[in-house]
Amino acid sequence: MATEPMKIGHFGMKRFEVMEPKSAEAIHVNSLYLLEKMGIKVVSDEGRRLLKEAGADVDEKTKIAKIPKYLVEESMRRCPHSFKMAARNPKNDFVLDGRHCYTCTDGVGLATIDLETGERRGSTLKDVADSAKIVDYLPMMHMYNPLVTPLEVPKHAHTVHEFKASLENCEKHYTTGSTYQKEEAVYELKMAAAVVGGEKELKKRPIISSIACTTSPMVLGMTTDAAIEFSRAGCPPLLMAMPLIGATAPMTVAGATLLGNAQVIALATVLQLAAPGSPLCYSTEPMAMDVQTGLFEGLFPAADMVRAAHVQMAKYYKIPIFVGGWGTCSKVPDVQAGYEKAFSAFLCYLSGADMTSGPGLLENWTVLSFEQLIIDHEMFTMMADMLKGFPVDDDSMPLDVIMEVGHEGHFMGKKHTLDHFRQMWQPMVTDGQPYKTWKTQGSKSAVDHAKEKAKEILKTHKPEPLAADIDRDLARLVAEAEKNIPH
Amino acid sequence: MADRQSILNELENSVKTLDQGAAVEGAKKAVAAGVSPVEAIDALSRGIREVGEKFAKKEMFVVELIYAASIMEEAIKLLEPELKKSKEKRHSTANFVLGTVAGDIHDIGKNLVKIMLEAGGFEVHDIGKDAQTETFVSKSKEVGAGIVGASSLMTTTVDVQKKIVDALRSAGVKAPLMVGGAAVSEEWAKEIGAHYCADAGTAAELAKHLIGKGA
Repeated sequence: MATEPMKIGHFGMKRFEVMEPKSAEAIHVNSLYLLEKMGIKVVSDEGRRLLKEAGADVDEKTKIAKIPKYLVEESMRRCPHSFKMAARNPKNDFVLDGRHCYTCTDGVGLATIDLETGERRGSTLKDVADSAKIVDYLPMMHMYNPLVTPLEVPKHAHTVHEFKASLENCEKHYTTGSTYQKEEAVYELKMAAAVVGGEKELKKRPIISSIACTTSPMVLGMTTDAAIEFSRAGCPPLLMAMPLIGATAPMTVAGATLLGNAQVIALATVLQLAAPGSPLCYSTEPMAMDVQTGLFEGLFPAADMVRAAHVQMAKYYKIPIFVGGWGTCSKVPDVQAGYEKAFSAFLCYLSGADMTSGPGLLENWTVLSFEQLIIDHEMFTMMADMLKGFPVDDDSMPLDVIMEVGHEGHFMGKKHTLDHFRQMWQPMVTDGQPYKTWKTQGSKSAVDHAKEKAKEILKTHKPEPLAADIDRDLARLVAEAEKNIPH
Repeated sequence: MADRQSILNELENSVKTLDQGAAVEGAKKAVAAGVSPVEAIDALSRGIREVGEKFAKKEMFVVELIYAASIMEEAIKLLEPELKKSKEKRHSTANFVLGTVAGDIHDIGKNLVKIMLEAGGFEVHDIGKDAQTETFVSKSKEVGAGIVGASSLMTTTVDVQKKIVDALRSAGVKAPLMVGGAAVSEEWAKEIGAHYCADAGTAAELAKHLIGKGA
């Protein structure tokens, strides 16, 4: 079941919509209005050049580009509706087609809860390698984004070190969440090309994608240059809105949805001008303010509603969406982490998100817990089991078997039961033991089981090593990147 | 005609591989070839024993265990007439009288215990669900029970287990009583002078341990 797709709606399940269709239309119309009348600040020289050439009104002094409505709408029409996310190992490829859902880790934490000591400490390159290996093992994790930034490697070149460690330990699709500079993008793409056998091959097999953060309110920052590199290489950028409700966005769900949407479609316009028809994804990771303290939290209900609204907007444009979700403020894998994450992720998937990210991180995506990674995967397997729906047909409504069992009998020894039981969800770490057995076996919680599972995976799982010549190329590229990435 | 050993292997494997067709076919062949019905049932038992062991190790699922038992039952139905004719006796560790107590109709757990006991070599006399206390006693005397087992799922029927112990003892039945079911606790079992069985997986082991120990 390694990458068995989860078929949302396949068996007649309806997608959940948080807005009326006319409200989605209003978000779109108002986004166009803002982009045309107010404009968006574009820090990237190349971005402004592309917009100006295409007919936008660009002020080089303020760097504000007023983008005509037709240009945005034409660009949105150019975005492909469906494409493949390739993986280091082709058996892990998956297709974004609006009907299946996938899960990714998120970045980029700075601390790790040590698997042995249980203490919080600074993150290391080994944490990247270990978490990549666990993601490689977990059957329903589909893509890997380095969960933490290693503190011991040169800061300006951390992304290439993370990418190398990830490639060595995970054969799934790779996403980078912290590529800010063009030069970082250039080296990541060179490394990806080295793995798949050249730039041309990479266009066919994009094994890497990149989160491109826009800046609220109404700025396309330096990540735009990196995103342009990815688009031109045929590797999908994930155009992320990160409105902080009440701070960098209005204090309303609709206002934050609107602002984020305007930024995403503005960046999509730039990228479709840079590489017409190139694959890209809508993306969002809003946060809400704790109105008592002024702190920003990833999980509050309002932020999750903005996520769901952005999923609906991505559906409006018929482009895939990658949602940064699974947020929690909790500092440890506990009940709070469980309920915050479950609400956040399930709402996004019910709305039709193609991908979500966030498993494994605590305290607003800043702290890695290996136990939480395993538990979040478990939660996703439960969600996926519900989201796929169920068939209603002669085989699933076995009149003959029901009549054969008769009154007061049972179905446990029936061939029909034998033929169907493997479709039922099965736990990896969820404890279902009766009290006495549970007590005898050490009174273990799901977190204890997850700790054991993580240790077992790290001890026994062996991802296929990279070919020696590819490994040499990667090492050379990392050394070169360290010299050439500005710092 | 297939030889004796290959028929016995076929029977054993049919249970292990959950192949009902092969089990029925194997039983028919055994009858036609005049294979000892006791040997044939032993072969099936070896099969269910392996399935039971794999179930205990979580290598096989409860659904597979129950299906294996139903396959074995089908095959035994075909062998039983031969067994009666031959007057041979099935090998068994002991006679085990098993039922769900009066007033309680929950028998899934009891059925699982039965399978595990049979896999463990016991001859199980299943008196069903909502079984009257007198039936526990009369059946135990009739078959010379080595052990008696009473299951209760509901708190309202747990007290019946105490009545069963008392009735068995006053009728002179010395066989130990195993009690289990969702409503039963180890403390309760001790209080009434019975032995607590936590789940189907440990039933056969506990029963073997209790054999010959008396009440």
